[in-house]
Amino acid sequence: MSHPSHPGRGPERREGPGIAVAFGVSALASLGLTVLYGFGGQPQIEGILLFIALGGLGAGLILWGKQLMPNAPFVEERKLNLGRPEARAEVVASLEEAGPDAGRRSFLAKMLGGALGALGVAALFPIRSLGTAPGRALFRTPWAGGGRVVTIDGEPVAAGDFEVGQVLTIVPEGNLEAGDSQVILIRLEPGEYEPPPGREDWSPEGFVAFSKVCTHAGCPVGLYQAGSQELFCPCHQSVFAVLQAAAPTAGPATRPLPQLPLRIDEDGFVAAQGDFVEPVGPGFWNRPSA
Amino acid sequence: MLKKVARWIDNRLGTSAFTQDALNKVFPDHWSFMVGEIALYAFVVLIVTGIFLSFFFDASTSQSVYDGSYAPLVGVEVSDAYKSTLEISLDVRAGLVMRQTHHWAALVFVAAIVVHLCRIFFTGAFRSPRELNWIIGITLLILAIFNGFTGYSLPDDLLSGTGLRIAYSIALSVPLLGTWMGFLIFGGEFPADQIISRLLVTHIMIVPALIIGLLTAHLALLWRQKHTQFPEPGRTEHNVVGSKLWPTYAAKSLGLFFGVFAILVLMGGLFQINPIWLYGPFEPQQVSSPAQPDWYLGWVDGALRLFPAVELRAFGFEIPNPFYPGVLLPGVTFLALYAWPFLEQAFTHDREPHNLLDRPRDRPMRTALGATTLAFYTVMFIASSSDLIAKWFTVSVLDLVRVFQVLVILIPPAVGWATYRLMKALAGSGAPRLTEMPLSALTHPNGRGNGAFPHQERGRDAHAGGATAGDDGDGRSAARTGGDGALPAQRIDDRE
Amino acid sequence: MTFTRRDRDRRLTVRLLVVATGLVLAGCSYRGTSTELYQPSPTLAVADDRGETIYRRDCAWCHGSEGGGTARGPSVIEGLNGPASIDFYVSTGRMPLNDPSEPAEPSGPSYTPSEIRDIVRYTTTLGAAGPEIPEVHPEEGAIGLGAELYQENCAACHSTTAVGGVLAAESDALARSRIAPGLQEVGSRQITEAMLIGPGTMPVFGAESFDEEDYNSIVAYVEYLQDPDDNGGAPLGHTGPVTEGAVGWIVGLGATLFLIRWIGTRVGEE
Repeated sequence: MSHPSHPGRGPERREGPGIAVAFGVSALASLGLTVLYGFGGQPQIEGILLFIALGGLGAGLILWGKQLMPNAPFVEERKLNLGRPEARAEVVASLEEAGPDAGRRSFLAKMLGGALGALGVAALFPIRSLGTAPGRALFRTPWAGGGRVVTIDGEPVAAGDFEVGQVLTIVPEGNLEAGDSQVILIRLEPGEYEPPPGREDWSPEGFVAFSKVCTHAGCPVGLYQAGSQELFCPCHQSVFAVLQAAAPTAGPATRPLPQLPLRIDEDGFVAAQGDFVEPVGPGFWNRPSA
Repeated sequence: MLKKVARWIDNRLGTSAFTQDALNKVFPDHWSFMVGEIALYAFVVLIVTGIFLSFFFDASTSQSVYDGSYAPLVGVEVSDAYKSTLEISLDVRAGLVMRQTHHWAALVFVAAIVVHLCRIFFTGAFRSPRELNWIIGITLLILAIFNGFTGYSLPDDLLSGTGLRIAYSIALSVPLLGTWMGFLIFGGEFPADQIISRLLVTHIMIVPALIIGLLTAHLALLWRQKHTQFPEPGRTEHNVVGSKLWPTYAAKSLGLFFGVFAILVLMGGLFQINPIWLYGPFEPQQVSSPAQPDWYLGWVDGALRLFPAVELRAFGFEIPNPFYPGVLLPGVTFLALYAWPFLEQAFTHDREPHNLLDRPRDRPMRTALGATTLAFYTVMFIASSSDLIAKWFTVSVLDLVRVFQVLVILIPPAVGWATYRLMKALAGSGAPRLTEMPLSALTHPNGRGNGAFPHQERGRDAHAGGATAGDDGDGRSAARTGGDGALPAQRIDDRE
Repeated sequence: MTFTRRDRDRRLTVRLLVVATGLVLAGCSYRGTSTELYQPSPTLAVADDRGETIYRRDCAWCHGSEGGGTARGPSVIEGLNGPASIDFYVSTGRMPLNDPSEPAEPSGPSYTPSEIRDIVRYTTTLGAAGPEIPEVHPEEGAIGLGAELYQENCAACHSTTAVGGVLAAESDALARSRIAPGLQEVGSRQITEAMLIGPGTMPVFGAESFDEEDYNSIVAYVEYLQDPDDNGGAPLGHTGPVTEGAVGWIVGLGATLFLIRWIGTRVGEE
């Protein structure tokens, strides 16, 4: 272990002052921080002062290390004590000193393993408490009761006041939590929308409603493009064609947005006939095929 | 004073011998060996700033009407988590610098881990006897990414809520277990109330504890096995050449800590990050636009965007689209990373311990494979900005996605092939650095230029485990390492 | 009267940039050039009315001398078209177009405010009966209400921070590269007009959706977003994690790598 030259320490070294300046500037910046904090602080100046305070310390230490400390390469031998068979054999032997009889030991070890395993299974049950069971939750939404559609503020939607080309996010009356029940309501020109078979009476007076939860990864598909009647998902760029019953025409989504069957109630407000006929939102393993 | 303290401690713990060893421990000086230290110190900054933030953050989703100092949201119903993050940002003195430094530190933390990983990979530092530390390192990368995401999700703003929504959908997509996983993690169907408080416990207790434990093991193994070094005159498989821990290495490393901290606080003060007051509170029927995760999950987001609209059904059950890019791809990615040292051993039959590093050119096949892999993830990463690229360059985002779907298949092999050729040429030319390689070497990878840089050969000698003679070809003498760099070769036998 | 070619030039620059950055995307943005460019008629009918003069010279070629539209352009008097729509298109510089096949994108207005008033007045004589030019008073709005309404109705397309966003329509080849424009430069009157008439692909947010306070509040919040509180420092384009990630890598990791390069050595140097 040696190095050829000792770094000087005397005042003749010109690097020394730089280090002192770095530490001095750092101390001044810290002082400035205290004052600034007293005056209520300001994020940008705080950042700059903290930078100077910490950076001065860092620069001073690095310069100290580079200039005034022994920098010639030192050599250390690697002690090649990896993998020594004799020592290993001793360890294995010691570990096996857990009982006299190999057969009995193996039986007891199995019992121990069984007990630990049982405890492990028992310990899984608290995990169950973490959440509700999925049950049928993914198969139904609060639309199941039918009823009026309302805005997110709870206002009902009068059919007569809703212009062609207008869009609105709606939820079921009495359940404004929009988790899986958010729906985008669009009014199209009467006759513009040709419903698929079985959905002929779902779109009265040009009103159509589709689940707003993307069938790909669940983002709200809130971007409606009037004129071409397409919905666009900003997360992964799926496009849904409203006039084709919200079928995906581009992007990673594979399934149409489920359509909510609508009716106009006796007071002229837009209402739902009932729940969606299929699960809304992203796929899951036991989702029935369409 | 120092003497008194030393005596007091040594009389009780008897640690003098160990301490003396430790102070004299030699660390190699190459700059690229400090990338891991950047990650380490960014993590320290994360803990320091995180502790400050935890004093003010309230992980509750209970709603109240905001009436604080930020006028544009007065009267808006927000969660306590969002409100307390607003207060940290706008009302707590120095709170915004702390919060922004914390976020920037997270981005730099994961970035430094990735660069560190690349350094280890391309120089073969993962080879025997360091496979264990490679495995710990990969685990640390996974934990860092995971903790980044949990932190990003805490403020309950519109952007992070959108991210959580996608995470929930990815959890749902797992066959057989997905619905239970989603419901147990979130506490019920999305959006469930418990998620923010669970994320907090995960973010500030569980994952940091795991990271600290594994980081300690990572450093202990490094200490035990000693650092690798590049083949150089005087550097052999049997020694370490560099600075002693005390005082030089300690001063530089502590200086690096302050330097990293300084850079991060400067960013925290000057560059606005995640201005949640502009994003607004999370509402399940709203979506933020543009919607991207922090960079370290960009590759998953890009994969979700690029994966074609395919959804399989098997045995009457569905395997939803997000499963492939969102679960399968990361799973395969990290499994392959874990397995790499063993895969390479299986291919090269090289199970010998190595303390001298490869230069990337010495292993053109490995380097090319690594570059291919990096290119693959980089294309997906860039694809996660497809909407912004489309906006900035006024092109169609749909066309752009199709272009990326082609590029993600074409670019990686092209990069791999080019890298292979380049490494071959570089090794053939003998140039000490890529920038010094003559262009003609590319056209004559094994021909001209060979021998122009004679000291290139010494790397091979050292790499073979042999002792390096004093003459290293460029006039410098091994004597400057004290003359004892050249040890007789000792056989390292790891097999019985 | 000059017809600005700025848009076209800008797009060209952008294409060059695309090539330069190696994104190999130029082909996608290429729309083909129209051969039919506007040419003022040599026998301009000079009317006493300044609005009529401008309309005949700059608008009638596409929209028809009676405003009913031609093969090159739509009617300006039917549907929701009227003072608000004409004021919106002309005062944001979306109209007039050099080339009717180009998309109407915002740029500087081609006319003075008084000329625009004259054009609007002239088109009402042609029978345009859509919404009137609205009176907007953002100072009377409630900014908190505006924030909620903006997030609910506008943010998905125009972005949470009003910097604009991208849209995509698969069905319409011309509209494949749609964007929802950023709102940083838009005046309060034009914001309200856009909601009333639903220009281009934007849905209508008419009187059935919002009352006067809503409009005032939304405009107040958009005006706030045009110059928001950027307490954190440089706003990085208000685009979120993408630019943040770039800064994290380039500035953050870049600076720390410089630091270790300074501290450490390279192979072959001590």
